Amino acid sequence: MTTTEVLADAHDAARTFGRGPTAVVAVHGATFQVRAGDRIAVVGPSGSGKSTLLHLLAGLERPSGGRVSWPALDPGPAGTAPAHQIGVVFQGPSLIPALDVVENAALPLVLAGVREGEAQRRARDALHLLGIADLAGRLPEELSGGQAQRVAIARVLTQAPRLVLADEPTGQLDRATADHVADVLLSAVDMLGAALVLSTHDPAVAQRLAVRREMHEGRLLASDGTRGTHS
Amino acid sequence: MIIIWTRGLVRRRFGRLAATALGIAVAVALAAALGSFLTASKSTMTARAARSVAVDWQVEVQPGADPAAVLKGVRSAPGVHTALPVGFARTSGFQARAGGSLQTTGPGTALGMPDGYRAAFPQEIRQLTGAPDGVELAQQTAANLHAAPGDTVTVSLPGTRGAQVKVDGVVDLPQADSLFQKVGAPAQTQPTAPPDNVILLPARVLAEMTKAAGPGAVTTQIHVARDATLPSDPAAAYTAVTGAAHHLEVRSAGGAVVGDNLGAALGAAREDALYAQILFLFLGAPGVILAALLTAAVAGAGADRRRGEQALLRTRGLAPRQVGVLATVEALVVGTCGGLLGLGLAALAGQAAFGTASFGATAASAALWSGTAFALGLCVALLVVLVPAVRDLRSGTVAQARSTVGRRHRSPLWMRYGLDVAMLAGSFLVFRASSGNNYALVLAPEGVPGISVSYWAFLGPALLWLGSALVLWRLTALVLRHGRTPLTRVARPLTGTLAGTAAAAITRRRRPLARSVVLFALALSFAVSTATFNATYRQQAEADAQLTNGADVTVTEPPGGTAGPGAARELAAVPGVHHVEPVQHRFAYVGSDLQDLYGVQPATIGSATALQDAYFQGGTAHDLLATLQARPDAVLVSAETVHDFQLTPGDLINLRLQDTRTRSLRTVPFHFAGVVKEFPTAPKDSFLVANAAYVARSTGSNAVGAFLVDTGGAHQKAVGERLRARVGTAATVTDITGTRNAVGSSLTSVDLAGLTRIELFFAILLAAGAGGIVLVLGLAERRRTFAIATVLGASRRQLRGLVLSEAAVTTAGGLAGGAVIGWALSQMLVKVLTGVFDPPPATIAVPWAYLALTVAVALAVIAWAALGSARNSSRPAVEELREP
Repeated sequence: MTTTEVLADAHDAARTFGRGPTAVVAVHGATFQVRAGDRIAVVGPSGSGKSTLLHLLAGLERPSGGRVSWPALDPGPAGTAPAHQIGVVFQGPSLIPALDVVENAALPLVLAGVREGEAQRRARDALHLLGIADLAGRLPEELSGGQAQRVAIARVLTQAPRLVLADEPTGQLDRATADHVADVLLSAVDMLGAALVLSTHDPAVAQRLAVRREMHEGRLLASDGTRGTHS
Repeated sequence: MIIIWTRGLVRRRFGRLAATALGIAVAVALAAALGSFLTASKSTMTARAARSVAVDWQVEVQPGADPAAVLKGVRSAPGVHTALPVGFARTSGFQARAGGSLQTTGPGTALGMPDGYRAAFPQEIRQLTGAPDGVELAQQTAANLHAAPGDTVTVSLPGTRGAQVKVDGVVDLPQADSLFQKVGAPAQTQPTAPPDNVILLPARVLAEMTKAAGPGAVTTQIHVARDATLPSDPAAAYTAVTGAAHHLEVRSAGGAVVGDNLGAALGAAREDALYAQILFLFLGAPGVILAALLTAAVAGAGADRRRGEQALLRTRGLAPRQVGVLATVEALVVGTCGGLLGLGLAALAGQAAFGTASFGATAASAALWSGTAFALGLCVALLVVLVPAVRDLRSGTVAQARSTVGRRHRSPLWMRYGLDVAMLAGSFLVFRASSGNNYALVLAPEGVPGISVSYWAFLGPALLWLGSALVLWRLTALVLRHGRTPLTRVARPLTGTLAGTAAAAITRRRRPLARSVVLFALALSFAVSTATFNATYRQQAEADAQLTNGADVTVTEPPGGTAGPGAARELAAVPGVHHVEPVQHRFAYVGSDLQDLYGVQPATIGSATALQDAYFQGGTAHDLLATLQARPDAVLVSAETVHDFQLTPGDLINLRLQDTRTRSLRTVPFHFAGVVKEFPTAPKDSFLVANAAYVARSTGSNAVGAFLVDTGGAHQKAVGERLRARVGTAATVTDITGTRNAVGSSLTSVDLAGLTRIELFFAILLAAGAGGIVLVLGLAERRRTFAIATVLGASRRQLRGLVLSEAAVTTAGGLAGGAVIGWALSQMLVKVLTGVFDPPPATIAVPWAYLALTVAVALAVIAWAALGSARNSSRPAVEELREP
C-alpha cells in the first residue's frame, strides 16, 4: 500500500431522488478522491448531502450521474462495490437486534465466509481493544446509544477494511459520549491503518481530522469555500 | 383533522390497512356465509319434514262423538286443505286358500278407505302388484296368506260371520307405524310394531261388513292434509302446528284427539336444526376466531409504528381522547371496508356454491345475517385496532417502559401458571363428562315445545383447541430456546457458514416465531378437523343411504317373486353394473314374533354394499360373515331378540320358516352367532341374517328378495334407469341418489355439500393466509436487519438463506402442530357430535387429497412469501436504513 493509492474515486458523481418537478438533487456532480491514510471530515448542515455522498462512496447508492469507483480495492461480485473492504458506521442503530454483541461484531467476517469460531475470536479481540469486552454477551436492546456505536466501530475493526465511512457517528450522542466514540473510532482506524471519511455537523469532531470538506445544498465546496475537488 | 389523518393513513399506510381489512373480510364472509346457510338449511329441514309426512294429522273421533260433526269441524279448521274419514276395524284374522292349503293369520286390522284417498295422501300407500282400486292386502299379510291378486280372502270380524273379498292388489304401507299409531297416547305406550295383518277395503265394503257388529266396531279417523304456510325454522313450525292441533282438539270439545304426525316430524327436524346450529358453531366459530387472530397479528405488526405516531400526536398537543378518536376512525375505516368486502366475498361464495348470493335463505334472513356479520367485523376491527391503541395511550409511559426493563424475558403469565395444561385437563374432563350421556347435545322431548342444547359440551373441543395451541407455543419456545445446535445443523444447507448466526437469530426470536407457528398450526388444524368431520359425515350419510337402499342400485322383487340367484347374471350384463348380489328376503317366526329374515352369500355380500363394523356386535363385520360362511346354520339376530330370549353365542334357535314345497311352516334349526344392528334394506326393528344357501336348502326355494347392484359408486341414476328399462314392471328399481334425498328429515339428509365447499374453501384460505401472512409480517419486521446485513456484505443467496431458514422453522412447526391438533380435534369433534351421525361412525374418514391440497397451497404461499421477502430484502439497503 502506498499513500498515493486511490481507495474511492467519485468523478462528477451526482444523486437525484425522485423525478420531474419534485425531484431533489441530493448531491450535485461531486469529484472526490479518498486515498489510503486519509482522514477527511465532511461537514455541513443537515440536508446538505453529506450522508448521500458517503453512501455513494460506500456503493450503497448508485450515482444518477458521473461515476464512483474503487481503484485500489478488490471489486465485489459482478462488479459491485467491494463491501467487505469498506466499513460503514451509521448514525442510528445499526446492530442486528437478534444477535448479541459478539455475533454482531463477527457478522461481516461470517458473511465473508470466515468460520464462525474464528470470526467470533477476532470480534472478541476487537471488543477488547476498544475496552468493551464486558458487553460481549449483551443484546443490542440492552446497550446505551454510545455503547451501541462503539460496538458498531468494533464491528468495523473486526472487518478490518481499508476504507471506513462514518455517517454522523456521534449525531445522536451527548458531548461526552460523542467525544469518547470519536476517540474510539479514530484509534480503531489508526489500528487498521485505514482511510476515514466521516460526515458530521459537529465542529469539535471535525476538528480532529486532518482534512475538512464542506457540503452545502448538495455541492461539495473546496477548502476555501468554493466548489472544488479533494485529491 | 380527522379527514387529514384518515387521508394520510390511506395514502401512507395502505398496505397495513388493506391487510387488516382483508382479515376482517374473511371473518365477515365466513360468518355471513355460514349464517345464511344455516337459515337456508333450517328452511329446507322444515320443508323436508313436512314433505316426509304422508298424513299431517290423524284426527280420531272419540266414542260417542258424531263422526260427521267432527269431520265438518275439522274441515272448517284453519289451515286444513283436505280431510277424509278412514274406518279402522279390528279383525280376528284372515283366511285364504292357496295351492290346496288353507292359510290363517292372527288378528289384524281392516281399513275402510274413502274415495280419493290415494290422490289426497299419495305417500301412504305404495302399490306393489295388482290394481290400485278395490281390496288391497298389505305385503306381509299377502305373504302370510300366500295370496295374490285374484285370490279370495275371508275377513273375520268379531261378532260377525266372516266376509269374503276378492283381492285386487298388494300394497306396501311405508308409514305403517304412524298409520296404526295409538292416537293421543304418549310415545312410551305406542305399539312397538304395526299390525302384521292388514287389509284395505273400500269404505262402503267395510261399512257393509261391520253393519252387523254395530257402530262400535269401527273407529273413525279423519286424515288431514294441511296447507297452512309454515315458519321456516323447524322449531317455530313445530310450535305453530302443535298449537293448531291443540286448538282443534279444544274446539271439538272432547270429540276428537289429534295424532299430530306433522308435529312429530317437525319435532325431529327441530332437533336436527339445533344440531345444524351446533355444527355451525363447532365448525364455523373457530374459522371466525382464526380470521380475527390473523387480523390481530396483521394489526399488531404495525404496533410500533402506531405507537410512534401516537407519541408524535401527543407531543403536538393532541389530548388522549382525540388520539382515541383517531384510532376509532381507523378502526371504523378498516371495519367498514373489511365488512363490505366480506359481504361481497360471502355473496360470491353463495353464488358459486348454491347459485344464489343469499345461500337460499330468504331476503330478510340473509339481510339479518349480513348485518350481524358486518357488526362482527366492526367488533373485530375495534378489538384489534382501537383496544391496543387505547391500551398504549394508558400505559405507554416512560415509567411503564422502565418497569419492564429486566423483565422482558420472563415467560408470559399464562405460561408461568400453566394455563395451557389446565385447559387441556379441563377439555378432557368436559369430554369425559359429556360421554356420560352419550354426547346427547340436543334434548327435544316429544310433545314439549321447549328444546335444550348442551352448550357446555362445546367447552371440550374449545378448550382442546386453545389449550393445545398454547402447549404448542410453549413447546416451540422451548425447542427454539434449547435447540440451537440442531437448528444450526438444519440451517446449514440453507445458510452455509451463516448457519450458527441464523440459529442464534432464530433462538432469540423464538417468541414471534412461536406465535407464527401457533397461528399456522391453528389454521391447519381448522382445515384438518373441518375436512375430517365433513368427510366422516359424508361417509356416514352414504352409509345411511346405502343401508336404506341396500346398495348403489337395488332391484326389489315383488312379494312371492320366484327369481333365483341366476337372474343376477342378466342384471350384471347391464352397462355400468360392477357386481350383482342376490339377497333373500323371507319372514320367520322367532317364538310368536314374526321377523324379516335376510339370506345372504357371506363371501360376496361385501362386494355390493358397505358393511361397517358398527352394524354388528360380538365381532367385526368380516368375522361374523366368516362365521356365516363357515357354519351355514349360523344366524345373526337383533339385540332385542338376544335380550328377549337371553341368548348366548352358539345357542340353538328354532325358526319357523315357510317351506315352499309344502306351503306350510317348518321348524329350521339355527345357531346364534352374533348381533346385527343394521343391515342393508333391513327395517329398524328386529330382523335376522342367515346363510342364503342354508335357507334355500331348508325352505326348498332360492327365491331372491332383492338384487343389490354395485355400480362402483358412480352413475347410479343412469344405471338405475337402464335396469328399470331391463326389468320393466317385474321388479322395483331404486337408486341411492333418490334415497339420499328421502331419508326422513334426519340431518344426514340435509345437503351439506354447499357448507362443506364453503368451509373447505375458507379453511384453505386461512391456512394459506396464516402461513403467508405470519411469515411476511415476521420478515417485514426484520427489513432493517436484512439492510444492515446487506451493508455488511451479505449476498442475495445469504439473505435468501436467512429468510428460508425462518420459513422452514415456521412451516415445520406449523405442519407438525397443525397435524397433531387437527387429529386430536377431529377425534373429539366426531365423538362429541355423535348425535349428528346416523349411523355412528366406526372410524373417521380422512380426506387425504383435500389435506394434501391444503398443505400444498399453504406451502406454495409460504414459499412465494419467503422468496418475495428475500427479493425485497435485497432492495437498496440505504432506503431501509433511512426509515426512522
